[in-house]
Amino acid sequence: MTSETQTTSDLFENDSEKFKMIAEDVTISYGDVPAVKNVNMKFKEKSVTALIGPSGCGKTTFLRCLNRMHDMTKNAKVEGKVMIDGIDLYSKEIDPIYHRRKVGMVFQKPNPFPTMSIFDNVTAGLRLNGVKDKRILNEIVEDTLKMAYLWDEVKNDLKKPAVELSGGQQQRLCIARALAIQPEVLLMDEPASALDPIATQKIEETITELKKEFTIIIVTHNMQQAVRVSDYTGFMYLGDLIEFRHTKKLFTDPKNDLTAKYVQGQFG
Amino acid sequence: MSSLEKRQEYRALFKQNVQKRLIVDKIVRIIIISCVITAIIPLGSILVEVFKNGIAAISIEFLTEIPGSVGSGTGGVGPAIQGTLIVVGLASLIGVPIGVMSGIFLSEYGDNRLARSVRFFNDVFMEFPSIVLGIFAFLVIVLVLGHFSVWAGAFALSLIMFPIVARTTEESLKMVPITYREAGTALGLRKWVITMRIVIAAAKEGMVTGIMLSVARIGGETAPLIMTILGSSLFFANMNTPMDALPLRIWRLSMLPYESAQLQGWGAALVLIFIILGINLGLRALVLHKKETMQILKTLKEKVGGKN
Amino acid sequence: MTRLIDPSLEKLSAIMNEMGNTAIDCISLAIDSYFEGKNTTDEVHTLSDSISTKYFEVEDLIFDMLLKYQPVADDFRLIRSSTEISYAFSRFGRYAYDITQVRELFGDISECDNESLIVISNKVKHMIREAVHSFAELDIRKATHIQDDEAYIDKIYKERLPQLIKSNNTKCALAEALVLRYLERIGDHAVFMSDAINYIVTGKHKPSQKRIDAHTNY
Repeated sequence: MTSETQTTSDLFENDSEKFKMIAEDVTISYGDVPAVKNVNMKFKEKSVTALIGPSGCGKTTFLRCLNRMHDMTKNAKVEGKVMIDGIDLYSKEIDPIYHRRKVGMVFQKPNPFPTMSIFDNVTAGLRLNGVKDKRILNEIVEDTLKMAYLWDEVKNDLKKPAVELSGGQQQRLCIARALAIQPEVLLMDEPASALDPIATQKIEETITELKKEFTIIIVTHNMQQAVRVSDYTGFMYLGDLIEFRHTKKLFTDPKNDLTAKYVQGQFG
Repeated sequence: MSSLEKRQEYRALFKQNVQKRLIVDKIVRIIIISCVITAIIPLGSILVEVFKNGIAAISIEFLTEIPGSVGSGTGGVGPAIQGTLIVVGLASLIGVPIGVMSGIFLSEYGDNRLARSVRFFNDVFMEFPSIVLGIFAFLVIVLVLGHFSVWAGAFALSLIMFPIVARTTEESLKMVPITYREAGTALGLRKWVITMRIVIAAAKEGMVTGIMLSVARIGGETAPLIMTILGSSLFFANMNTPMDALPLRIWRLSMLPYESAQLQGWGAALVLIFIILGINLGLRALVLHKKETMQILKTLKEKVGGKN
Repeated sequence: MTRLIDPSLEKLSAIMNEMGNTAIDCISLAIDSYFEGKNTTDEVHTLSDSISTKYFEVEDLIFDMLLKYQPVADDFRLIRSSTEISYAFSRFGRYAYDITQVRELFGDISECDNESLIVISNKVKHMIREAVHSFAELDIRKATHIQDDEAYIDKIYKERLPQLIKSNNTKCALAEALVLRYLERIGDHAVFMSDAINYIVTGKHKPSQKRIDAHTNY
């Protein structure tokens, strides 16, 4: 076992693998303080990658740079490249809005728009972008709510205000809303941490289904969730990517001392 | 970990006088309630006074006719009602959009020096005595144009109105949790779309309250109106002539030594209160409870239509 | 700070070490008394039983830990291997008992030529000692030696069996065949044990000198 803090990874030596998204030398700083340092990750298409690590390790900061959410934050500086299908998200020629539609995001606390109904929430990303065709909207609503395992529970009352749903249902609604804009990558920031165990289970089932079609990157502090749901796992600590491997290997035989200590609950 | 004895010791430290504290609790509660009642009594008694004294004056004639000769007790406050509605309406048309836009700017785009200065000046402006704003309007419009006019009145009132609207709009928008803006951003929506279609929708109630507060405020302002619309006994002719308004009329009527005039003054006060109340409720019904209001209006329409 | 799982891990470690030491005693007693002609069936049986009881205790403990703590990494590998190792211990006890049964069933075997048996049984005793200590210290340097020892035992076993067919003394031949068989099986389980220990330390199921070197920093 090694204890260096260079990223330990035996993944992807064979570069003919198909990668949906590649993060190259990503460094994110708030003012002068670096929160994420030189992270290199490749995300295989139609897979689930989990990011784990103690609080403050930079995993959420890193996740948010993948769809340029840091543009909203004053002071935040992002260096490096984030490429989808070979195109750098951060290059000057790219309109971030366009690429945010390729990369959807689901947040930690369910946040359906409070003044809208279920239907309006799911179609928000479409209607507010000028899509008016009712037939298409209806199709997409049914399609995405089915993917989010919510259709059967709400199909009879799509006009109900979204805030009347339970926490777990609201989160699945947010997943449907994110899927409605037809993204190719789905980012999830601790999507089940605010939910009860049954709701959590449903979210995990949803993720397992979705990965047949989408590339999913999920930040979680629940290691068993990472084991259950992900194909690859990256462990971050104090802004560095310490280890990045197949999930089963990382959890049964971590190569890095720090990883072993963290996953066994010896700190953090 | 402390031992059992230590725990007993700690428990013994807690005040044992539960009875006494329940009594103190009750006393404090009584004090608070009586404070509230004390605060409401004057308000309530004002309403009761105005109603008591003014109800006798109310009649169709009172509400629609021009004032009669001084002291005669005839005529009404028709022009004053009309004037209040026109000048408040016009002031709102100017003040509300400007106020709301400023509020949006300060809240959504306001993390820079310009916004900080604007906010500061806005707060100072809110504290200006309304008579000073009236004088300002006098100098800027009345003197320049050479006559008193409705424009001047609307302008003066809008100056009072927009800082309040700006402030309340900004506060209401700030209360909307940032997570909704993030969700909108993550969906690839442009900032102005997020602000207009999502944030404002969520802040609606606060914004309407703010607007209502400012409408109520200017509805009762008298000093700026003295300097700008002057008052008159005639109905609205055009925008460039003096005009009457309820606060002005109330003031004038209350100065006269005749009892009939006094009565008319009370009546006008009652009318003003009802108008403000009406605008408040109406705006709430239309903006906040749109669906139910539309339903009620629809059923009413059907009933009326069915009768005929 | 101790984790929730630590007391259970300590208990596991304690029971396993007891089992290991009892297994060494048990086998040594059985083998020695076979050659000395002593009847120690009851004693060996008691020892073997105690190992067996502990085996079930260990299984319960392991599944309890899996249920409660969902262990990963080192903890996971330790627990996973402990099933194999505790089974090996229980087998040692069982075969030891089987050996004493041979003496009991066949009676006096002092006339038999026990030379190869003695060689193999010494090897086996050595192997078991090495395996138990290797587990107690998680020291995998001995892993390849155990493999070699087992290969040697296998060789002798395969050589000796055909020779027994030609023997004149049926009783001796059968006794020797049975004991050879038990000793060979003990050897097998010792190797399984060492593989399991290797898995705990290196994460790989089969030991190789390269990996052993990488994981040893003595």
